[in-house]
Amino acid sequence: MAEHIITFAGAPVPVHVATGTLVSEAAQLAGIDLQQPCGGQGRCGRCAVQVTAGDVRRRSTLRLSPDDVAAGYALACQSVIEGDVSITIPPQAGIERRLTTDRTAIEVTVPLGYSAAAQPMRRVTLTLSPPDTQDQTDDWSRLQTALRQQTGIGAFGISLPLLRRIGPILRAQNWAVTALIETDTWDRPTGAARIVDLWPGIIPDAAPLWGIAVDIGTTTVSLWLVDLLTGVVRAQVAEYNGQISRGEDVISRIIYSTKKSPLPNPLPGGEGALELRDLVLKTINTLLVTACKRVMADPASVVKATVAGNSTMIHLLLGIPCESIRLTPFVTTVNQTPVLPAAMVGLNIHPEASVDCLPGVASYVGADISAGVLSSGLDDAEAVTLFMDVGTNGEIVLGNREWLVTCACSAGPAFEGAGVQHGMRATEGAIEEIWINSDTYEPTYRVIGSAPGARARGVCGSGLIALLAELFLTGIIDRSGHFNLKLPTTRVRQGEHGDEYVIVWAAESQTGSDIVITRVDIDNLLRAKAAIYAGFSVLAEKVGMPLEMAEQVLIGGSFGKYINVEKAVEIGLLPDMPWDRFKFLGNTAARGAYLALLDRAARARITDIASRMTYIELTADNSFYDEFISALFLPHTDLSRFPTVQAALKKV
Amino acid sequence: MPPQVEIPKDSWSGSVTTVTLGATAAEGGTRSHTVTVGGHKSLPFMHFEQKMSHRPVVALEIKDHRPEDWSPLLLELWGQAANDPASWAKAAEQAGAELLVLSLSQTGSDGNPTTPETAVAAVQSVLKASGLPLLVFAPGQAELDNTLLVPVAEATRGERLVLGICEDKNYRTIVATAMANDHLISTRTPMDVNLAKQLNILVRDMGIPTDRILMDPTTGALGYGIEYGYSVMERLRLAALQGDGNTQSPMIVTPGAEAWKAKEAKIGHDVPASWGDWKERAINWETLTAVALIESGADIVVLRHPESLRRVRAAIDELMI
Repeated sequence: MAEHIITFAGAPVPVHVATGTLVSEAAQLAGIDLQQPCGGQGRCGRCAVQVTAGDVRRRSTLRLSPDDVAAGYALACQSVIEGDVSITIPPQAGIERRLTTDRTAIEVTVPLGYSAAAQPMRRVTLTLSPPDTQDQTDDWSRLQTALRQQTGIGAFGISLPLLRRIGPILRAQNWAVTALIETDTWDRPTGAARIVDLWPGIIPDAAPLWGIAVDIGTTTVSLWLVDLLTGVVRAQVAEYNGQISRGEDVISRIIYSTKKSPLPNPLPGGEGALELRDLVLKTINTLLVTACKRVMADPASVVKATVAGNSTMIHLLLGIPCESIRLTPFVTTVNQTPVLPAAMVGLNIHPEASVDCLPGVASYVGADISAGVLSSGLDDAEAVTLFMDVGTNGEIVLGNREWLVTCACSAGPAFEGAGVQHGMRATEGAIEEIWINSDTYEPTYRVIGSAPGARARGVCGSGLIALLAELFLTGIIDRSGHFNLKLPTTRVRQGEHGDEYVIVWAAESQTGSDIVITRVDIDNLLRAKAAIYAGFSVLAEKVGMPLEMAEQVLIGGSFGKYINVEKAVEIGLLPDMPWDRFKFLGNTAARGAYLALLDRAARARITDIASRMTYIELTADNSFYDEFISALFLPHTDLSRFPTVQAALKKV
Repeated sequence: MPPQVEIPKDSWSGSVTTVTLGATAAEGGTRSHTVTVGGHKSLPFMHFEQKMSHRPVVALEIKDHRPEDWSPLLLELWGQAANDPASWAKAAEQAGAELLVLSLSQTGSDGNPTTPETAVAAVQSVLKASGLPLLVFAPGQAELDNTLLVPVAEATRGERLVLGICEDKNYRTIVATAMANDHLISTRTPMDVNLAKQLNILVRDMGIPTDRILMDPTTGALGYGIEYGYSVMERLRLAALQGDGNTQSPMIVTPGAEAWKAKEAKIGHDVPASWGDWKERAINWETLTAVALIESGADIVVLRHPESLRRVRAAIDELMI
């Protein structure tokens, strides 16, 4: 048999191999350790190499784009040597970026051509002429006159607490002051401007002016600290919503909120509501402190907040009874909340800062989804687009610039890492990607963290999606999610909470105990993905449009920085469509709140979006339950809806 | 002149799988004959569209020992025969059963859990006593079921028994032993089309041929959810005829067990006089439940009372004309 010479860049000597040898085998001979997480089956694409001279026969190019192949890329485990070749092994990080299935959340950038004038908070520096016996104009009039001259605005409002302080402030730095004015709000677009605060002396123009964009998720609360003058996001922080301990989903929160106490109660709705309000305020205020510390800002210098969240979260934040959301005919107290002062809301920012809670559509389609639609650009899209916010309350919107229909389905917190035994948020120590070798059932995973060899603490949403897909494809669980206990591996075992798979042994974990996924976790994940898939099946059916006709699929959610689209399709969370139709937008609700914070036009668009969306109540229809049970299977009871998964199953 | 009426005929792309229960000596078993069900190419009894390939079959249920929880009406009727599975099997065959269902009890008559040895002995004695094809249903507790069914399957290799019940939480062992020993399986799901399909997919994923699968979509007795069960069966059969391969197994249901759980069948005293004669009422309950299910597409109905069997069969005879 013919022998060929294989030269690996970086290897000291070429190796000689026979025709038919795999590149991966040749690499091993050359002493090169190629990563093969999937066990050399061409599933994961991690062993991609670049052929720089000669060529190899590629048995599979599943993980490579045509461009990759043209550039000489080949999967080492799937490429057969039939002649002399030279091969370069790209760095692992380079390979990861090449993968066609990975969707990293798009970066947050300042809107193109941003000007601070697009938003209503203005800092104005003034030097007033001091009063004397000739000019006995009162302080307030003097201030207003100066402001009028500077800004061209006719009249200003002011609060009593500030009015009490203006005298000393004006005099403190010899009549040099800096005023913060709010020119308008969405609910009084042409109304009187108001003075938010007045500081002695001249604050330099370059000093940041802080605003926050907050997304109150049922499970995760995100807060972005933004410099309103430049539009730059200076800090992004997130934490689990403190209310989780009082119920995992909106319904249990609503029920908890109505818990009565024998004591007289300052909030209507019940003692529980008061507690829930305190908990979410505590979460937001803690996040605020963390974010401000990062940029050495004083939380009290934050002068504007926009808040996105589902209707229940907004009601609980504001202490508005939310019981009616749960009861037919499912009506909220308020969908379009007026702008409120921070002190009254309870945010520990500037007490007179404006808090703008974004508008919702219906009881179960809240401001988070209208903000999400804004940030996804769906309302302006030509193409029919499917947008989904994979959250505890999964919201789905289908449409384009002509029409928008929406529905909501209770998915539970599993994809945010909550309600799963070793689930966690997508932070340091979380497993965010995982492959399981289908011969040995041994996992290979990637942990979020800067330190090389960082140890795992748990699994975040994107990791759970990948894990579920791998367990399924390798046959560790069957299509209904039950473990096969007869496999020759110690990783599948009967644990305290039923059958489980050990992802990380205690000795290798950060926590010092085994990291596992249990049967109960799998049930939670299955229910979550089934609810979401059933949601858009029903939605598409209502519109009379097959799902495949959606020209793009936009995914929002706070389950991680990236999503492996292929894995999400394999478990039946996402519809089986060409991978290039998917785009991952990250936390779309927070992004929408950010855009509304920066731009009154964007804020107006959210109101417009909220009023344009047609809401479909899934509970009013029995097809949802059927679709749900049908989707409660891997990937789906009707495999013909998932042709690529069907093909992948045949291969494994 | 009488009006000319043209009866519209549906034609379907799919059909119900044909399944043969039991094996004769020539086929590697010991049954005197086999029973074949399924094969339908149209909805039940739509003879003008397609002749029904195999008529619905009535099975009688017997136990491995005298069941203390059965209605006194049944125990009185079977009398001494119920004391021992072999004599019970004989009596059931004489009463006209086309198939026998032997349900294994969770515990023996001594109160201890049923052992594999007693289960195998019961099955073998039934096979000796009667030449009818046999279905063996385990008590319904995953671990115990597997412990009992594996030795039963091995001891009766080649008989093409139906082993039950496969559920989504416990099917691997039963399917594997059925395949290894040339038997059939029966699956059971709680009254839901999708769940029935899913379990069918799971067992087929293990490689068992479709002509060895019966499915039990579960039913409720008359007055206890029968309309739900009926509708699920009807939808399953419609899906099967439309070509959905995961709904094409012949359907087996247990109206006997369901009806005899109903208060109307179980209780003979302290009930309104208008309820009429207890025995007649109980038999009616079982018969009406079974006949309704046959009309929704059941291929095998499992009954407990021979008089119900006679009445159900009479109904089938009429429906087959």
